[in-house]
Amino acid sequence: MAIQDYFLPKSLEQALDLLTEHGPALLVMAGGTIAMPLINDGISMPEKVMGLRHAGLNTVRRQNGTLVVGATTTLTQLAQQTDIPMLQEAVRHIGGWQIRNMGTVGGNLFAPPPAGDLAVALLALDATVVLASKQRGRRTVPLAEFFTGFMTTALAPDELVAELHIPLPRGKTSYIKYARKHANTPAIVTVAAHVLTEAGKVVDARLALNAVGPHPIRARRAEQLLLGAPLNAETIAGAAKEAAAECEPFTDAIATDWYRRRMTEVFVRRALERIAE
Amino acid sequence: MASRIVAFNLNGRDVEVMVKPLTTLQTVLREHLHLTATKSGCRQGGCGTCTVLVNGEPMLSCLLPVEDIAGQQVVTLEGITPVEGLHPIQQAFFDNYAIQCGYCSPGMIMIIKALLDRNPNPTRQEVMDAIAGNVCRCTGYESILRAAEDAARRLQSA
Repeated sequence: MAIQDYFLPKSLEQALDLLTEHGPALLVMAGGTIAMPLINDGISMPEKVMGLRHAGLNTVRRQNGTLVVGATTTLTQLAQQTDIPMLQEAVRHIGGWQIRNMGTVGGNLFAPPPAGDLAVALLALDATVVLASKQRGRRTVPLAEFFTGFMTTALAPDELVAELHIPLPRGKTSYIKYARKHANTPAIVTVAAHVLTEAGKVVDARLALNAVGPHPIRARRAEQLLLGAPLNAETIAGAAKEAAAECEPFTDAIATDWYRRRMTEVFVRRALERIAE
Repeated sequence: MASRIVAFNLNGRDVEVMVKPLTTLQTVLREHLHLTATKSGCRQGGCGTCTVLVNGEPMLSCLLPVEDIAGQQVVTLEGITPVEGLHPIQQAFFDNYAIQCGYCSPGMIMIIKALLDRNPNPTRQEVMDAIAGNVCRCTGYESILRAAEDAARRLQSA
């Protein structure tokens, strides 16, 4: 079955109208870096496709200590229009220049691991996702609750991701993508960490991992080990060991689950050591 | 579903094409307009040989529905090749043995063009970062990096 129609809505409202009219049969894409390869290969054969490149969702603004990023902001735009080091690092490690010019912030939330190296940074920054529906208006979901499983999310069939709200980090951050090449390569493990210390003790810790779970995940047990402790070598070693124990690595053409788990310990330790420096 | 007419500017000329829904820019260039410098590689966004410039920005034509770029400016390798002779980047590729089978060359040359348009005197690391999304499987990257550096010198002294 050939593709019958391709829609290019000019606003979020038009996009939601089309989604309501055509329902789940409508394949939604923005930059095309996830959907188009599947369509080109005949793996995905949608009858109707909606592209969001002209839906007016590619804006970045600051609002009361929060960065508000439109869902179809490209990775290049995000890097150019923000100065949060974690986001700069994450974008720098994704794809090549062309992919960064096409791939979007919202789209990265739907990139199956080992892809999703921006989403893991957004998770460590405690971003929230704004979902829009024609009938029910807008609702906000913490990114940690947005991911529900491998290639499944909290997005309802009549909803679109409209924007992301990213609180400006109060603590120190570090981001390490470990892969087989320096650039344009899938991750073996990606670690994004945000740690706030007061009077020598960790008071807030967010440790996010990618490529070692069904979606970008928080290492909650490792975070608990950090809370209330001084960020010293002993604490870091314990948290790194715990993160390796609680992650759910998989085997693919890039690495085995065995290797991913061991590298998780190594790179969580290094990420936390950078913060402790 | 009926085809639609899409108008855009290609290499300085206005063109109109009639396309089925979701036809990619790559298909339009190669199969509708018979401009075959832009290669069809993996069609997965993984190899970079289909790179063209859209409003000066490098994009992968295999992942780009042509309707998305209606009214915009597209430049392909044909667009920078002079009627007589070669563009300085092409000449630098030739002189530095940076073309073996030549399949990656159109994408390599367009991404290096995009880099040198922004940064006329890039470091080797900056060239490496720029071509990170372009795969070469036979020539070897060393001669391509040398060609990019040579092209930068030629363009600056031109």
